[in-house]
Amino acid sequence: MAENPVLEAWKTTVPCRYFASGSCREGDNCKYLHDEALLQILSEGDGLNTTAKRKDNVARSSVDDHNKCTGSSSGNNADNQDNSETRACTSTSQRDKGQLDTGTSSNSDSTESQNNTEPIICQYFQQGCCMFGSNCYNKHDPTEINISASSQSCSEDPPENNSSSTSVTVPLASDALSSDSSMSPLAPNGESLEDQRSPARPESESIETKTTLRVNAPEFIPSGFVRSIPSEASVVVDEVNDTKEASSGKTWAQVVNATAGNGVPSPYTSLCPYAEAGECPYAENCTYLHGETCEFCGNNCLHPTNEDQRKTHTDECIKQHEREMELAFAVARSKDKQCGVCFEVVVDKNPASEQRFGILPNCNHCFCLACIRKWRQAKQFENKIIRACPECRVTSDFVCPSMYWVDTKEEKDKLINAYKSALSNKQCKYFKQGRGKCPFGNKCFYLHAYPDGTKVDTGPPIRRQRQNADGETDVLQLFLWDFLDERDNRWLYSLEDIDLMAYFSGSDDSDASDIEMY
Amino acid sequence: MANIAAQRIKREFKEVIKSEEVAKCAIKVELVSDSYTELKGEIAGPPDTPYEGGNFVLEIKVPETYPFNPPKVRFLTKIWHPNISSVTGAICLDILKDQWAAAMTLRTVLLSLQALLSAAEPDDPQDAVVAKQYKDAPDMFRLTARHWTAAYAGGPYSNPEFDSKIRRLADMGIESHDARVALSSFNWDLERATEQLFS
Repeated sequence: MAENPVLEAWKTTVPCRYFASGSCREGDNCKYLHDEALLQILSEGDGLNTTAKRKDNVARSSVDDHNKCTGSSSGNNADNQDNSETRACTSTSQRDKGQLDTGTSSNSDSTESQNNTEPIICQYFQQGCCMFGSNCYNKHDPTEINISASSQSCSEDPPENNSSSTSVTVPLASDALSSDSSMSPLAPNGESLEDQRSPARPESESIETKTTLRVNAPEFIPSGFVRSIPSEASVVVDEVNDTKEASSGKTWAQVVNATAGNGVPSPYTSLCPYAEAGECPYAENCTYLHGETCEFCGNNCLHPTNEDQRKTHTDECIKQHEREMELAFAVARSKDKQCGVCFEVVVDKNPASEQRFGILPNCNHCFCLACIRKWRQAKQFENKIIRACPECRVTSDFVCPSMYWVDTKEEKDKLINAYKSALSNKQCKYFKQGRGKCPFGNKCFYLHAYPDGTKVDTGPPIRRQRQNADGETDVLQLFLWDFLDERDNRWLYSLEDIDLMAYFSGSDDSDASDIEMY
Repeated sequence: MANIAAQRIKREFKEVIKSEEVAKCAIKVELVSDSYTELKGEIAGPPDTPYEGGNFVLEIKVPETYPFNPPKVRFLTKIWHPNISSVTGAICLDILKDQWAAAMTLRTVLLSLQALLSAAEPDDPQDAVVAKQYKDAPDMFRLTARHWTAAYAGGPYSNPEFDSKIRRLADMGIESHDARVALSSFNWDLERATEQLFS
């Protein structure tokens, strides 16, 4: 790098932009010129800035440049080209470019040399929002705010004014393109657009402005329209508005939101989504309606006049509040509940999939779902034993999975009903929509329906019996256990459709299979 | 050992140690190995029973499938009880077999065993000889049980008559334990016991 003559030349001729703004981190190692004298000039005049660009553009090219500054050594030619490419956004002087230019953009150079004679006023400062502050390359002069603010804001703001606002928006796009990617920056259209912009500036000086926010800018009316047919211009802006009002110096916000002033907004005016979500940067100048604060959710989302909207929202909020309270109670009462089998606190179990309660319908003893299921599948005991609660030996026909503990009978009934109804919407994997036979008949918790949706009553559960060796009739127990085993597999397969209810993270599997068969 | 079993035994161990029964010296659990699979339990003979004043040591083996299967428990201390084998110490108690419930713990098991000592079930015997004596000669059973408690469990009530009979058999070269078993089995009838021992 050091022996490269071009780079050596840079070091003596190309001023470091970061040094100029007082923020070069490379210090003496920087490949660009650190010149105190030049710094002086820069800080005084900002005069070396060539064009006024949008801040994002500047920011991007700054990043590009500094990357180079910190020493990518590949391709000096590319470096040169990049430099000339980003030059349009930054403060490289004409003289420097003359030495280094790879001949790609003489056209835009001529434009810049014109502009060099007068300092460029920072558009963003004029609008009160320049993010570069005192480091901005463009001129921040409070006395000059008036000169072009109106024309800038006018030409930027009303989206309807395609005819003249394009002169700002289109060059932005092309600038972004050229500084981003291409090796041959500033295509001919970039040049012409710059030309368009320059003459536009002095024209706007006559318009009087006073504001920092764009919403306060006077309504934009193209000068031609104002003189000849003012009514058309206002129709473009807002058809509801009176022509005379519109042309008599109202602010843009007032024009668009005509009803804001008279205090009785229409029930159909839409609410400002920013204010609804939190804070609207335009505050009272917002063209949209700012709702009143809802005392439940704290958002500004109550329409001042639309009673229906208010009622709907309040109801929703109350319901939400109730749900949250219910959940909070459920969490609180589940907090220290210990499983009677593994003795662990259910909600603290690891992994999280184990943090489920298995609620027995007929007693109030607490177990985690995994433990109570395992107990109920134990093969070494009699059916009567394992279907009983391990604590109190009260028999329950099934286990209801639940995320939370239930204390009262009402809660439990609600939970079990919800569980059953959730299961009853799922196809029984034994009935198979009529193709199979479900041993649990009409006691099955799952859905018995034909493919067309008609539900079927398959009668009482089948009592499977067999003759044992002594010739006695014996209820076929094995069958039930086969079923339970199979059910466990099913449970594994169907984990992905856990979506039934908040309460049942695993309601798709079933202890319904435990229902009494004997 | 399955994780759940080890976890649970650890918790139970703490529970037993903190329980009020331990404070009253009614039950006790000790670790035999570090693995929590083998434990040593101890229960005090309940008051107003022939076992009063004795301390009975139990061997507790925790299966991998605990708590879905009951722990295997047997008496290491010799005891005269219809539901406990006087030879092996095996226990006939429903909750240690088919009536086990996963919510039961070491503590409840030990308390159940203590209850078993105060309320024997002669109709569901483990040791038929003892059960027969319990039913046919309850007074003799009580004396015998108390003698066994004194002989093996550190009970306070020694019975001089029984002791002398055992000594006489011991003089004939019989181990005192064998003599005690034989005498107990024949309601302390020295003649029949001798006959049985030398037959």
